[in-house]
Amino acid sequence: MAEGIKWAPYTEKLQEQLNQLALREIHQDLTAGKTLKAYAADKIAKIVLGDCTIGTAKHIGMCTIVPLENYWLPLFFSYWEEQEKEISFLVDIMPTVDSLIDEPYRIKYLDSIQPIWEKFASLPGITPFEDDAVRAVCSIVYTAAVVPIEKEGMRLAALASHTEYLKSYIEFVKDAPPADGEAKVKEIKRKIEAIKTALRSYMQKAYAGAFHGDMLKVFF
Amino acid sequence: MARVDYKDMINFADDLLNKYKIFEGIDFIPLETYEGMDTRPAWDFKTPMATGYYKPYLIKGSTAVEKITIGELHYMRRAKYCALNMTASDDYDLPIYACEFDESAPRLGITVDFMPVVDIAVHPEYREKYLDQLADLWRQYRTLPGFTKEGRCLVQRRYAPWPWARESLSPYSLDGRVEEPEDRYKVMDAVAAYARVWLELLKKAEPVKDPQYKQEMLARKKVLQKLYRERDPGGEVIKKIFGEDKHHLFVSLIF
Repeated sequence: MAEGIKWAPYTEKLQEQLNQLALREIHQDLTAGKTLKAYAADKIAKIVLGDCTIGTAKHIGMCTIVPLENYWLPLFFSYWEEQEKEISFLVDIMPTVDSLIDEPYRIKYLDSIQPIWEKFASLPGITPFEDDAVRAVCSIVYTAAVVPIEKEGMRLAALASHTEYLKSYIEFVKDAPPADGEAKVKEIKRKIEAIKTALRSYMQKAYAGAFHGDMLKVFF
Repeated sequence: MARVDYKDMINFADDLLNKYKIFEGIDFIPLETYEGMDTRPAWDFKTPMATGYYKPYLIKGSTAVEKITIGELHYMRRAKYCALNMTASDDYDLPIYACEFDESAPRLGITVDFMPVVDIAVHPEYREKYLDQLADLWRQYRTLPGFTKEGRCLVQRRYAPWPWARESLSPYSLDGRVEEPEDRYKVMDAVAAYARVWLELLKKAEPVKDPQYKQEMLARKKVLQKLYRERDPGGEVIKKIFGEDKHHLFVSLIF
């Protein structure tokens, strides 16, 4: 932590939400400068939550929840890059089907997030996520911002978007139905892989050499 | 906030054709029949509420175009509802160029985009081939006042009440509400710049060969067209002006 900066409690706040699920720990690494925890849960292939610092000036957090491909359930993604004067972030519930065509999916998962999406539209620094390939896998209700930290309360205000999206996602997990038929499972599998590829590629590009190398392998 | 009189509103179609000359060198042929409908009633209309035209064209010698429609509807000398739509024929996977441009005294509402006809999350090569051509323009124009306000960039939020419409957008849509007269003209630069990119892509377009990909592409294209023709709130205005029987013709030419 840079002198005088108190990083936002990213992993703590997200872990509080995750604890509503029956988590089965599959990996944990709490070596100096990082936190990395991976879990399995019903209907979920993998949940990963972690953070680390790069030098003393950056605090990076990430949370991915990848559903099992035989469930009709989106993918949760939260990315957090915190510095002394600004926080860049992206939080989304990414569709694992073509949500233009699968309208019931859009209505169930994305339209119900819309009030949260509209609420955080007033957050200072709200902006489309800069990376084109990542924007292409985002849903219509993603929230991204580069929030200027003009007072310390801004850190928690920005973090609230992540906990609210996650809270909704956890409710989705509880009543997610199985995917309807082999074609749907195939579609979901293809899309999950495409999303993971886009996110992994962005993270490798953004943090080449700076990130704890093993962390990305666990996330994606 | 400056109000703009009807007489000072932007001449959308005329500016694109004669000021920006986006179709210079292209030989248009009027499209008289579209999806079995006689399009001529839309070429020039005058009703107690509205005047204007929506003219659909093909390009001479090209099989790659389904329609290029340009038009304006002037509503009671109070507002203009303008559109430019460029849709490739079913053998081609070019995105749909769609521009909706509605001007009234207090503001201009605009959406311009290349709507992908495949799911770009699973076809990143499609995004790279067609949509990424807009990346620099998008970054240039998204900062226009109205698209960005008080440090917040609000593109992709104009269709907030219509999630089905947001689903149709690419990562490069420009949309918003612009108030000041000089900023409204800057929006026209974006409309023309996006159109030029689409027309360049058209020159290089090749028919789709993979039958499975084509099936996937056509399924999405038909859903897009159905959604806009059945649900676009502008369609209700069209219905009110032209009646139920002409409604389908007009919305099918506009999207």
